[in-house]
Amino acid sequence: MGEKIGIYICECGPNIKDAMNLDELVTFAQGLENVAFAKTFKTLCSEEGKALIGKEIKGNHLTRLVIAACSPKEHEVTFRKVLKSEGLNPFFLQIVNIREQCAWVIKDRSQATEKAKFLIRAAVHRVIHHEPLEERQMECQPDVLVIGGGIAGISSALVLAQKNRTVYLVEKLPCVGGKVARYEEVFPNLECASCMLDPKMDEVLHHEHIEVLTLSEVQEVLGSYGNFIAKVKTKARHVDTRQCIGCGACFEACPVKVKNEYNEGLNERKAIYVPYAGALPYVAVIDEEHCLHFQGKDCVACQKGCPFGCIHFDEKDQDRELRVGAIVLSSGFDLFDPTRASELGYGQVENVYTSLEFERLLSSTGPTGGKILMKNGQPPKKIAIIHCVGSRDKRYNEHCSGVCCAYSLKFAHLAKAKLPEASIVQIYSDFCLPGKASQGFFYQLDQDKKSEFLHMRGADTIKIDQKDGRIHITYTDVNGKPAQIAADMVILSPAIEGARDAETLARVLHISQGKAGFFVEEHAKLAPVSTMNEGVFIAGCAQGPKDIQSAVAEGQAAAGRIISRLIPGERLTLEPMVSVVDETCCSGCKTCIGLCPYKAPIYDAEKKCAVINELLCKGCGVCVAACPSGAIKARHFTDQQILAEIKGLLI
Amino acid sequence: METFEPKIVGFLCNWCSYEGADSAGKAQKACPANLRVVRVMCSGRIDPQFVIQTFMEGADGVLILGCHPGDCHYKEGNYNALKRYTVLKNMLKGFGIEEGRLRLDWVSATEADKFVQVVSDMVEHVKQLGPFNHHNH
Repeated sequence: MGEKIGIYICECGPNIKDAMNLDELVTFAQGLENVAFAKTFKTLCSEEGKALIGKEIKGNHLTRLVIAACSPKEHEVTFRKVLKSEGLNPFFLQIVNIREQCAWVIKDRSQATEKAKFLIRAAVHRVIHHEPLEERQMECQPDVLVIGGGIAGISSALVLAQKNRTVYLVEKLPCVGGKVARYEEVFPNLECASCMLDPKMDEVLHHEHIEVLTLSEVQEVLGSYGNFIAKVKTKARHVDTRQCIGCGACFEACPVKVKNEYNEGLNERKAIYVPYAGALPYVAVIDEEHCLHFQGKDCVACQKGCPFGCIHFDEKDQDRELRVGAIVLSSGFDLFDPTRASELGYGQVENVYTSLEFERLLSSTGPTGGKILMKNGQPPKKIAIIHCVGSRDKRYNEHCSGVCCAYSLKFAHLAKAKLPEASIVQIYSDFCLPGKASQGFFYQLDQDKKSEFLHMRGADTIKIDQKDGRIHITYTDVNGKPAQIAADMVILSPAIEGARDAETLARVLHISQGKAGFFVEEHAKLAPVSTMNEGVFIAGCAQGPKDIQSAVAEGQAAAGRIISRLIPGERLTLEPMVSVVDETCCSGCKTCIGLCPYKAPIYDAEKKCAVINELLCKGCGVCVAACPSGAIKARHFTDQQILAEIKGLLI
Repeated sequence: METFEPKIVGFLCNWCSYEGADSAGKAQKACPANLRVVRVMCSGRIDPQFVIQTFMEGADGVLILGCHPGDCHYKEGNYNALKRYTVLKNMLKGFGIEEGRLRLDWVSATEADKFVQVVSDMVEHVKQLGPFNHHNH
């Protein structure tokens, strides 16, 4: 072979030295083939130790190194740097773990020495097959696409936007702000939501490095990390956003009335409208589905009514291709549909609302101007809040949505402030108030006797009917006894589920959806905002139920992950320890394509073989072991290297 | 008569099991000297030919350790290891190789005690089976 291997055995103070016979080990190692010398040193990871190795690599013209010391997890990277600084490829090194897996676990000195011998022999056999690996780099696009203009997406965009980086914030609705924009006050301190959110929305809308695309949806994503191409369709607004000031003259003129989805259908809007007072951008939009002009009628009432000439019926939908390096998906949530649990009477019994509907009843921009009123226009005397609707219930969702208990307490605080005479009752099965502030929120409510608490066995025991002009609720209490209560208004706290369009987005972005429609993260604990599709990140309730604080944290975390690698003007570094296909051996059977969780191998129809995208490959080697033709090589863990190591362990 | 000390080769995944073996070391837990470890990035990297070659080279037993199901660093590499293990076990049986010479188990990074337990059990079991002579197979 002609290799010159230097073997260094670390004494690691007394750690290794006292556990085995190092003289015997040195003599053994020196006798191995291709070995130039073997020696011990007190602590190789010290500056002195590294300097010694560095000096001897040059002085002895070493071509390979074996270092017997602590676990490679400790100092493999340290020693690779030494090789690199001496002009030797850093991968021409093999670490032998004679501390954690030898000295520290084998109490018998001669047994430990014997084990260290064959571990060193295996490394010597392996290292001669090591190949030089280089970090490679590729051109990348620093711009980022953020899908979903709620609090998570906005938070992400604001961290990402900077000189030489444009952020495209794509929102399917006519305005940004997501669900949070529909709340008046938020738990646990009853902060004013719009005081918090509006400046952020303004910043996003006027940021020189953020382009907000409302009424837009991503239809297709091609490419991979560093170089995605996203095809985005923007629906025509038919209103000139630069001229419209949201004066309202157009919607006063419009003869069409439809349910206003931004108030959860609790009031009406026109076919040309601004979603709600304070919506940003505060610009009108035409709803083509209901506008008479688009139904073939000759109505131009809004155009006539507009004093600024903003309305253009002939505006067309636009298709754009955005070139971006990474994507943040923050598509938010939808609530469990309570009509699925017919016993709850939602949609049948009057004055039974979901939590989002109640948020709008509480809001000064909502259908009642912030007054809590029943359908008959009277304020309720008794409000029942029912927890865990469609969650923690095996029939629907197993998960706990984590925020309902806290917002139910908020509802009690706010309802009591608006209707001091009304009584509020919470029908709950368990209380979930995590974090540093929510429990105090509960104590305050309890102390002020603002809410009554009824402990039920589970939401699956609830039944809601209309009886004698009031709402009649029956349930099983925590002791298993039947209980009942009458109320004038009921608020259901439905489970938070992934957004209804999450399925389409998962398909478009090639990521997985788990239970309840939430997107699946790369690793639940260690990589919670990245996905198995490298370069596609998830943030906010798209990933799972969470409060505003956590959604913001995730949006910013995703931005941080992107900023740390997609640096404007710099190239993207590729990991060297990935797998590669030998095109001459590949039969094109596609086994690897089905196995890879990262979708790194693709089939090249022209070459009739698989090709691995090195940017996506994580180097696990699953495809290598599965390839029937042996056409895939796992760099630094090749068959040849591993088989040589096995031989060295056993001969 | 000299007592038989089996040679056991362990293929350990980098993220859980190799860390688990290191944890046993950090906790200074006594572990049989019989285990000789090959580190792989994922238990899913373990090609059946590695196992067969290991027996051919003179090992008396092979131990495959990976992350617990659901905990794989690469999401599902350990499931691939499990599938291959099932096939491999049947194959070895066909060659007349005793079942206990190959074992797959899950050891997490913190399971120092489990690591020592699995290795000790394996060593004991293979001791009872006696030396493996591949020339007979």
